[in-house]
Amino acid sequence: MKIVKTLCVLLLLYTASAGVLFDVPRLPILNETIRVLYFHVPIWFTMIFLLFLSSINAYRFISTGDLSYDLKSYNYSNIGVFFGVLGIISGMIWAKYTWGTYWTNDPKLNGSAIGLLIYFSYFVLRNSIEDESKKGKISSVYNILAFSMLIPLIFILPRLTDSLHPGNGGNPGFNVYDLNSQLRIVFYPAVIGFILLGVWIADLRLRVLKLKNKL
Amino acid sequence: MINKILSILYKDFKIEMSQSHLFFSVALYVVSSIYIVYISFQPVGILNSEHWVSIFWIIILFSSISSVSKSFFQESSNRNYYYYYVLSPDELIFSKLIYNFIFILFVSFLTFAVFTFFLGNYIISLPFFFSLLFIGALSISNCLTLIAAVAHQVKNNSSLISILSFPVIIPIFLLLIKLSKVSSTEFSWILVQDDIYLLILLNIILVSLTKFLFGFLWRN
Repeated sequence: MKIVKTLCVLLLLYTASAGVLFDVPRLPILNETIRVLYFHVPIWFTMIFLLFLSSINAYRFISTGDLSYDLKSYNYSNIGVFFGVLGIISGMIWAKYTWGTYWTNDPKLNGSAIGLLIYFSYFVLRNSIEDESKKGKISSVYNILAFSMLIPLIFILPRLTDSLHPGNGGNPGFNVYDLNSQLRIVFYPAVIGFILLGVWIADLRLRVLKLKNKL
Repeated sequence: MINKILSILYKDFKIEMSQSHLFFSVALYVVSSIYIVYISFQPVGILNSEHWVSIFWIIILFSSISSVSKSFFQESSNRNYYYYYVLSPDELIFSKLIYNFIFILFVSFLTFAVFTFFLGNYIISLPFFFSLLFIGALSISNCLTLIAAVAHQVKNNSSLISILSFPVIIPIFLLLIKLSKVSSTEFSWILVQDDIYLLILLNIILVSLTKFLFGFLWRN
């Protein structure tokens, strides 16, 4: 566990320093804002990974009835949504400098906003039930439904229409112009670092929740 | 299994017939909301097909949510206990799926009739639009039945079903609106095939999830 945490810190330190200092390809419109790739995209990957863990735990809860899985599932979805909000905020700041506006009618923006709405209504559902095991059962069912609707929203629907995002609809993307993999040497470590960070935060918060339940 | 599904369906429709105010309340809901749209677009009316299609589907969405929510709530708790002993969860949920599908199909054709009467018709390829209503009713019922079952378990749930269902139904809805916009021009299969496949895929996901997850809900 200690090695994983050290790895996480080192990877994130590397991301933060190399992400700002290393050379990046000069692309029109994007210019230096291309560096947001190291932070914005890994945050979304982390969100999807955490929500995936959440739905796995929801499934384990409804098949075993063990309440600790329900707590884990709730906790992972909570941290996942937190990362989703961070992803939206980082994307909005980036969009202001490249597209000139904070929010547009882009399929990826719509998909992620709707995905977050689904999880917000999951929290509303959880809060409206008193009984613990009933709460777990009903919200786990909705959690699995929510994650399986998130996949088409984020991965399939945006691919059917043109998006303003780099790499879609004729916009320059990093895999097209980045011939000598300048971006990849920071991007892949950043993805691993952020995912480890997400799991770490979720682990800490799970301990807090367990202690609160004990008291 | 099919016999049991049919007998529940028969029972549901019999209840529907004897308490016809339930159906008329949904019909009145449709007519009055369309009339509100008609009045608020006076004196020019709806001028382009995009507005027509969007408002049309929004009315179908709202009326189908209000009609699906009652398909579970009209069951008394005693009858639920009875079902618990005689039926498997699959039989119950499939009968509800079919019942909701037929009901929503009826509501959407009613909406189409009243809507064209008040606001004019922008649809050129009618056969495609009617098949779209058919697929739309199927997808909406697939999506809403499980959510109605979830919301049914919670007390004080009148607003919960709309909170839970709106975000989940949006992807289906976006596809339906996008496809309907095609039907206001000359129809061609190339324009719609990707979206139709995606809609079928979403339906398969939803039906299998409904079948899989309702078993867990029902055990309460």
